Amino acid sequence: MLKESREVLREVGLAILPITFFVTILNTFFLDLPLSSLVRFLGGAFLVAIGLFLFLQGVRVGLLAMGEMVGAEMLEKGNIVSILLITFVLGVSVTVAEPGVQVLALNVDLVTGGELSNTLLIGVVGISLGIFLAFAILRIFLGISMGYILAIGYAVIIIFSFFTPANFVPIAFDAGGVTTGPMTVPFILSIGLGVTSVLPRRSEMGDTFGLMGLASLGPVLGIMLLGVLFQ
Amino acid sequence: MILSRLWAITGEVILALTPLVVFFLLFQLVYARKPWSFVRQVLTGTGLAAAGLILFLWGVQVGFMPVAREMGAALAALQRPYLLMGLGFLFGLLATIAEPAVWVLCGQVERASAGYIPEKLMLVVLSLGVGLFVALGMGRVSFGWPLYYLLLPGYILAIILIFFSKPTFIAVAFDAGAVVTGPMIVTFVMALVVGIAGATEGRDPILDGFGLVALVALAPILSVMILGLFFERKE
Repeated sequence: MLKESREVLREVGLAILPITFFVTILNTFFLDLPLSSLVRFLGGAFLVAIGLFLFLQGVRVGLLAMGEMVGAEMLEKGNIVSILLITFVLGVSVTVAEPGVQVLALNVDLVTGGELSNTLLIGVVGISLGIFLAFAILRIFLGISMGYILAIGYAVIIIFSFFTPANFVPIAFDAGGVTTGPMTVPFILSIGLGVTSVLPRRSEMGDTFGLMGLASLGPVLGIMLLGVLFQ
Repeated sequence: MILSRLWAITGEVILALTPLVVFFLLFQLVYARKPWSFVRQVLTGTGLAAAGLILFLWGVQVGFMPVAREMGAALAALQRPYLLMGLGFLFGLLATIAEPAVWVLCGQVERASAGYIPEKLMLVVLSLGVGLFVALGMGRVSFGWPLYYLLLPGYILAIILIFFSKPTFIAVAFDAGAVVTGPMIVTFVMALVVGIAGATEGRDPILDGFGLVALVALAPILSVMILGLFFERKE
């Protein structure tokens, strides 16, 4: 436990370092921000670091165990429909709690002056990720090649983007990027590992991995669709 | 003001974690029936994660976001886009090397290629790739290039590469996109770019401010597949 904490502490320290370095260099050589801003930044960095430390610790202590338990139990007792359903619900639940998703939603809420509220954005991102995650699991069962699905997914996104109102496009693409973080990745990987371990056929490495890549296409399409509906 | 934000954030975080807790408790009651000690462990972890998320978002909202936007505005006023691109490159490079998940990924690639692509080489290529894409993102907001000019060629290249790559490499590459978009790039750089876009004349904070995370996520996808292809030829 103590050794793990030290490991997490090191991770957080390493993560916070480049930002602090970047801000220091900028402010020393190029900018002249007031002292109050620098104090604010340092205070923020301190809170972010402690918060991230506790969060990662919490994920390791309890949430990962829960992901593994759910993955193992649902495969033992469930049929394909209930597996897909549980995957969907779990996908939505972990995505709405992902820090990156929260931060994107805050920024969007601020910039649009609340017109695209953070609750709506988080909801759409969560639900669309859940749908695509269930779909990605279904793909493993059906044994369709990952490459083809990804290629089709990317092509659909490109085509879709031409019909989306221009100011939704950057947010949509960012939504795909932020869904993958310290909360979603371990959960989704543990489900994927569970599913491949019960497959009758010999599974390739390509089966388990790539889940995240496919699932994160969902929010891109989801936000684009929201843009079309908003118009 | 700073304290009132804390209450709002606490409410939002509780709301965000409720689905997971409800799901877990239902699952426990209906399917699993694990011992109480296990339930307690999960709930303790959730409590820790909630406290962490509250502090994290509080720090982001009262510290990172306002300062990053202020810095963005000051950087825009400097009107030195190439400096901005250079610093962006440096930042992307450092942030990637410092990300523990990236090291895990590089080890994975070494194994997936049966040792043909050494871990260190992958790390160098990946960091340079992310640096390059952050620099491009800074260039985009400074010069006002539409996001399409960068994303579209990137996506099309990714699709083409899929058809020439081995399944293992495709999977690792697309998961790698996840690895570099950690909480730091998202929290600070996103707000910084939004700040730059808001303070530069002729830029729209929505149109030009977002999109950087998407660009950064493309960098590892392309670098892993290109490296894979290159080394496959050599085999």
